[in-house]
Amino acid sequence: MSSGGGAGLYLHVPFCSAVCPYCDFAVVPADASRSARYVQALLTELALLGEEELSFDTIYFGGGTPSALSRADLESILAAARRSLAVEDDAWLALEANPEDVDAAALEGWRGLGVNMLSLGVQSFQAEELRFLGRRHSAAEGERAVREALTAGFDIVSVDLIFGLPGQEPENLRDSIRRLAELDPQHVSCYQLTVHEGTPFHRRRQQGRLLELGESSQGELFELVHSELEAAGYSAYEVSNFAKTEDARSLHNQKYWDHSSYLGAGLAAHSFSGRRRWWNEPDLERYCSRLERGERPLAGGEELDSSELALEAVMLGLRRSRGLDLDRLRADYGLNLLERNAAIIESYVEDGLAVVDGRLRLTPRGLAVADAVVRSLDLDPA
Amino acid sequence: MEHIRNFCIIAHIDHGKSTLADRLIQACGAVDDRKFRDQILDSMDIERERGITIKSNTVTLEYTAADGEVYQLNLIDTPGHVDFSHEVRRSLMSCEGALLLVDASQGVEAQTVANLYLAMEYELELVPVINKIDLPAADIDRVSEEIDADLGLDPFEAIQCSAKNNIGIDGVLEAIVERLPSPGGDPEAPLKALVFDAQYDKYRGVVMLVRVEDGVIRKGQSIRLMYTEADHVVEEVGYLKLEKVATGTLETGSVGYVIAGIKTIQDINIGDTMTETERPAKEPIPGYREAKPVVYSSIYPMSSEDYGDLTKALDKLKLNDAALTFTKVSSAALGFGFRCGFLGLLHLDIVQERLEREFGMSLLLSAPTVQYDVTLTNGEEVVVDNPSFFPDAGDVERVEEPYIKASIMIPEKFLGAVMELCREQRGEKTQFDYLAVGRVEVTSEMPLAEVLFDFYDRLKTVTRGYGSFDYDALDYRATDIVKVDIMVNKERVDALSQLVHREKARSRAMHYCDKLSSTIPKHQFKIPIQGTIGGTIIARKTINAFRKDVTAKCYGGDITRKRKLLEKQKKGKQKMKMVGSVEIPQEAFIAVLKTEKEK
Repeated sequence: MSSGGGAGLYLHVPFCSAVCPYCDFAVVPADASRSARYVQALLTELALLGEEELSFDTIYFGGGTPSALSRADLESILAAARRSLAVEDDAWLALEANPEDVDAAALEGWRGLGVNMLSLGVQSFQAEELRFLGRRHSAAEGERAVREALTAGFDIVSVDLIFGLPGQEPENLRDSIRRLAELDPQHVSCYQLTVHEGTPFHRRRQQGRLLELGESSQGELFELVHSELEAAGYSAYEVSNFAKTEDARSLHNQKYWDHSSYLGAGLAAHSFSGRRRWWNEPDLERYCSRLERGERPLAGGEELDSSELALEAVMLGLRRSRGLDLDRLRADYGLNLLERNAAIIESYVEDGLAVVDGRLRLTPRGLAVADAVVRSLDLDPA
Repeated sequence: MEHIRNFCIIAHIDHGKSTLADRLIQACGAVDDRKFRDQILDSMDIERERGITIKSNTVTLEYTAADGEVYQLNLIDTPGHVDFSHEVRRSLMSCEGALLLVDASQGVEAQTVANLYLAMEYELELVPVINKIDLPAADIDRVSEEIDADLGLDPFEAIQCSAKNNIGIDGVLEAIVERLPSPGGDPEAPLKALVFDAQYDKYRGVVMLVRVEDGVIRKGQSIRLMYTEADHVVEEVGYLKLEKVATGTLETGSVGYVIAGIKTIQDINIGDTMTETERPAKEPIPGYREAKPVVYSSIYPMSSEDYGDLTKALDKLKLNDAALTFTKVSSAALGFGFRCGFLGLLHLDIVQERLEREFGMSLLLSAPTVQYDVTLTNGEEVVVDNPSFFPDAGDVERVEEPYIKASIMIPEKFLGAVMELCREQRGEKTQFDYLAVGRVEVTSEMPLAEVLFDFYDRLKTVTRGYGSFDYDALDYRATDIVKVDIMVNKERVDALSQLVHREKARSRAMHYCDKLSSTIPKHQFKIPIQGTIGGTIIARKTINAFRKDVTAKCYGGDITRKRKLLEKQKKGKQKMKMVGSVEIPQEAFIAVLKTEKEK
């Protein structure tokens, strides 16, 4: 398996059997003919790519629900990627799956594709919460999927949980985490429920039909997630990501956080290389029809200047348990962060939000307010 | 002289005063219809928008009455708000009569009554006018009863009109001619004219608005301003007919303008008496009050880069506002600003609003303060109008604060509540007199500082708006003043320091702590907010740290979005004042100053 020094390839599969009311990803309800058309378009997009200078050592099938695609579709997508791009033979491969799609045949198929990390959208082990979230599997089904995936022998089985639901009792969250810990997957992603504009949850909130969990309760749950998972042997390597060992971390996702190059193919997928970030058409019809005309489906892009890159570096670096490489920040952007922000960083250290040891790292309590910490820092180069 | 009528319109806000003025101006053909705009006398944006008159304006109209004679009608537009009672008084002094305007659907309101008292004080002849009679909700019978019962005027003498739809305007004009007296005065006596207002003209300098009591003003004449003790030569004299019309003379009893080579508004005093240098009048017109600042507050630009703009804006404002004073100050928390002196709280309000409106400034103001006379233990005497310069408690031998004699006119039924209010405001020698059946005047000697905070609002509340209030300065009296400091996250915010009577120190400090703790947003650390006297904590509040502020997901597409959001938030932060590492929004400074009334 690759060591992770190369670029990452993200492949988006936008279909879901039903769209969850909180989801703001580029997602559409599954439909056989649409799905076939999309796969064709994605194959065309991959054929049009040719970033010769990049060598790819991770591939990530995200969605949507990649597990909704057949093994044959997945295989032809991978083959198309390998035809156009320099994908290392032993590239690390991840795939997102919904518990209801997990069965012996599917698992075998994914194993056969060479999937290293299988990421399961379990979200909760509480029946009530699953209903609220509009998920289509039961708590028992979630448990079964994790157990079977673990038995199937993937390097990493990852379980997604969502917390911070309106009215969520800490006890229920604790129970979900304990049930998860008993299953003992190698990796956990634990996201706070975020109500994005344009989602059914957002409309319900605007109509006053969806309460919001108070900021202080959210903080309490965030701390609970971190302490419970810590106790179960997981260490947080990012705000929302936990792994049993260093090897169990998501090799692909870490590229997003250190400005490594990544290429995204598929609906609304984002790419980044050097100082440039660009993204694909988010509308399914336009995405497909542009590719059918043999056109690349780009929707926009940006060239980042040094101050934007520095802000991203700080914002992304502080989300990670390893923290911010202060020397690199100075070397790359001429920014002496400690000197410019001596008083406030000292107060963060005193308050137990941060640690300075050559790097600037946030403690779990600091991670909970990482955005505010970034806002408080003066990032102008000296 | 018998063809002159000097009058004003007094009304509750919204009862249609400016509209009636508009119609009278149009009916007399003073402006052609194409050039006409609504609220033609209100020249400031704030006036048009709020629908109130802040600065009085004057217009001379020529009206050919039913008797075939041409009359000179001088409409002196008074500020409609009783808070401007100084200006109202000066305007009333220039009139012989007033139209008392009542809305046919609203009836007699608090302001109507308060203004009536003022008009009666100046012995003006009153003509009640019922306006908006064509409104569906108009109830002329009820309003007539109220005019009788609440105002003590004869409702059968009321003129009915609708200024908006130009109904009954002739009746109003005829009543002005028939029922209001012409001015008195002696054309042969030495000149005596009241300078009741002044404007600044970029090209001509100061334009004084005057009402001639005795004698005549002529172009080329040497005049003397009696209080200012300065002589000037009249360059131009004439009537204000929306534009200045030079006439060469201004006769006894008339109202007009005088330009006399005066360069800045600071060189004259509004309310001064103009006489002739050669043959001065023996006595000035009584009732003059020097416009002296009594309230001080520091004004800071929200962003320190705007200090230069603030300097320019104040310089310009001063051209038109004689009473405004300012000197440079600097605050550790807020940077450079100006310590400004105002005639009163409303003056402060208006200056602030004009700076914000007309000059686009974003401002912070410190708590208003009066001037204290402080005697130090070493015998030295100092005047303090800025909490920052208040000496250490150990060096203070004695402090005196200005007292005023408050005069409050109210309907009798509010007597108890108003007496209680005076007691709460540290009022002494509170007395009351019956002015007429059902009308009472309460007088009380109280510290001016008490009036600064919430007196107006509380008076309005307890009298449901039916109280009118005015005051005269008394003397300075010994007091027990302490300096209350406000600490945010253990750093003193000098702009929030204030001088308070010891008895009220704790509640004032608590109020500040409450307001700050509810307006300063949570930070990622706990923020103690404390009120202290000489380092001793007398009030305390804590803003808890927020515990959660981080984006859950941050992958490919989220990064750009997240960065842009952070960039925007960082920009927003520049509009905050930083005290140490605490961001204090402008609202916090405004909230502590404005909202004691909410209690």
